[in-house]
Amino acid sequence: MTSSNIITEDDRYRTSTQFRLWSFTRDSLNAVRTTTNRLAADRVREAVRRAHEALSSADASDADLENPSRGVSAMPEREIDCLTVEEELRLVTFYCRQTLQLGDHLLFPTQVKTTAVQYIKRFYITNSLMTYDPATILRTALYFATKTENHYCKLTKFAEAIDKTRPEDVLASEFLLTQGLRFTFDVRHPFRALEGAVMEMNGIASGVIPYNTDVGERPQNMGRRVKTAHGKAREYLKTSALLTDVYFHYTPSQIMMATLLIADQELTHWYIASKIFLDDLAGHKILATLAECACMLQAIEPTVQAPPEERKAAGALSKKLKKCRNPEKIDLVALQRVKREGDGKVDEKIIKKRKLEREQSAKEGEDLFGPSLKNS
Amino acid sequence: MSPKSIALVDNPMDDMCPICKSTRYLNKGIKFLINPECYHRMCSTCVDRIFTAGPASCPVPLCGKTLRKRGFKPAFFADLGIEREVDIRKRVGQVFNRRQEEFETLLDYNDYLQDTEDLIFDLVNGMAKEKLQAEEKLKAYRAMNLQEIEDNKRAGLEEADYERRKETAEKEAARQRRLKLIREQEEGKMDVEKSRRDMLERLANTDEDPTAITRQAQKVILKKSSARRNLTDSSSDPNGGLPLDSSLSIRGLKKKVAPIAEEAYDPFGGINLTPTRYVLNDEYENEWLNGIKTDTRILAGGYSLPEYYARTMFEAFSGLGVFINDEVGPKAKPEVRIKKEVEIDDDVF
Repeated sequence: MTSSNIITEDDRYRTSTQFRLWSFTRDSLNAVRTTTNRLAADRVREAVRRAHEALSSADASDADLENPSRGVSAMPEREIDCLTVEEELRLVTFYCRQTLQLGDHLLFPTQVKTTAVQYIKRFYITNSLMTYDPATILRTALYFATKTENHYCKLTKFAEAIDKTRPEDVLASEFLLTQGLRFTFDVRHPFRALEGAVMEMNGIASGVIPYNTDVGERPQNMGRRVKTAHGKAREYLKTSALLTDVYFHYTPSQIMMATLLIADQELTHWYIASKIFLDDLAGHKILATLAECACMLQAIEPTVQAPPEERKAAGALSKKLKKCRNPEKIDLVALQRVKREGDGKVDEKIIKKRKLEREQSAKEGEDLFGPSLKNS
Repeated sequence: MSPKSIALVDNPMDDMCPICKSTRYLNKGIKFLINPECYHRMCSTCVDRIFTAGPASCPVPLCGKTLRKRGFKPAFFADLGIEREVDIRKRVGQVFNRRQEEFETLLDYNDYLQDTEDLIFDLVNGMAKEKLQAEEKLKAYRAMNLQEIEDNKRAGLEEADYERRKETAEKEAARQRRLKLIREQEEGKMDVEKSRRDMLERLANTDEDPTAITRQAQKVILKKSSARRNLTDSSSDPNGGLPLDSSLSIRGLKKKVAPIAEEAYDPFGGINLTPTRYVLNDEYENEWLNGIKTDTRILAGGYSLPEYYARTMFEAFSGLGVFINDEVGPKAKPEVRIKKEVEIDDDVF
């Protein structure tokens, strides 16, 4: 083997879908979210208008006819107050917390919970809360994460454990979710990375693993400090890292190092310096990136429970969301059934297509082998 | 049988010497000889008469070849044409005696055999000119490859010798086995006989329960026979009595080159995955793993701790130097794609 075709750890990370499809700069992420929000708001207005038209026509023919669509009656005639991008983001964070709590309630391992949260975050980049109900997507994401993280959970049991949930509710949006995830189910978490770093630091602390002495002696009390830092870093990874956008802006290794930096700056700095030459441009850049990431992580307290004021705000936002839901996408189960079974009233397009096909075949029948058997 | 060979057998001329015209009717012990120089048949009396004094020309009209008495031999085949061809083949075969092992490919060997066959055909059926050419070729080849011909000849002889010795050894071993078997059977019979005699004696001389004695005797017989069987089983050698003598190995064969060991398949096609930021150790401390290190329930399923170590260490440093802001930003490709996805109406519902 030559050294020329060395594939570094970074190159290998660049092959992952997390890097290729789910890494954004702050601006690009914001742009995508804005676009999503704008389109969704437009669609909500359009849908409400359609529903009103249908309602008024129905009223004209039969005044006693019940509303064809739920929620339409609650809609104001004009000027629907849609969520802004920031509001959506705050609500997504709130529902991510809900997912974590639900996962705790169901005693799911950390992997499943964290993956589910990332699924939700990824899904709501290109889909709006106003279009798809986060409470539904949340359950589907959690159930779907049990599959991708290889933690088997029976669907009926899963549905039973959650209030007011039928198995169909969970499954209805499953394909929708996978589509929103662009069929990439691999989420690279920083948890295993943390284990690796901690294991190595433990080895250095106990003197089993030699270290680069150029950066000075190992810190005092290293074993104890590593242990403390490990616990604290895990706390951050389990909460702040999931609720902020760090997964989109940084690599798992960077996130892990950033949490360690928060936990024990001196120790982590020494550890990174013993691994990578930090005095050049690239080294400075790494440190700067880690500091940025750490700053972003510290924006949210590492607790699963939301602080009271945030909860209050989320409650208000939820109410607002109820008013600006897309009425056509509320009952996903029914929509799926229609999609699957055809519902009798076939789409106009399809009718037209079939008619065309029939004509075509009739023509061909005359041309080649005489009239087809059906006609004769 | 072809009609021709029938005619040969029944030909009355076969019983008459073409030189002295004496027949089997007159001379019961008549023997016909030929000389590979010209393959003219004559009786042994004529050979003695003409060639005892020294080389003389063949008495057959228009032949005129000079023959010696030493060259005469009885014909093996009735058809002298065949006799001649066999002789030629023998002669050519002694010179063109290459073996298949000497050739790199089977195709080369087959080409060689074809050349040899062509030469033989020229010698057997060719016109005088072709015959002469073939003869010269044969001679030239012999002169050129004298050493190799000798080597091959010796190798051929050794091979034949080895085959012969192997065969005799096998025969001997088979004979030994047979003898042994017979001996054992006889011993077994004698044993049974002796036990029976003992039993009868005891029955006659003691007051013990006769059924008990009989049963005991039966047991003894069975035990002895089974013991003998075990003994023979263990003594018979696994080679079936064939001696593996290293001196029997064939020498002079082309040296067998050991096949070049194929390189282990590299699933990564030569990509070097050696870590650049850390050195992977065989062992790491982790209190969570302490239980696993000795738990057969986990390890029996193939769980590999080194695999886990490699993965954790890899993930700890994989992507540390990837700056998403720089690397994803300028391209901004995903963004465009996503926008499209949002805009076109391809959602499932």
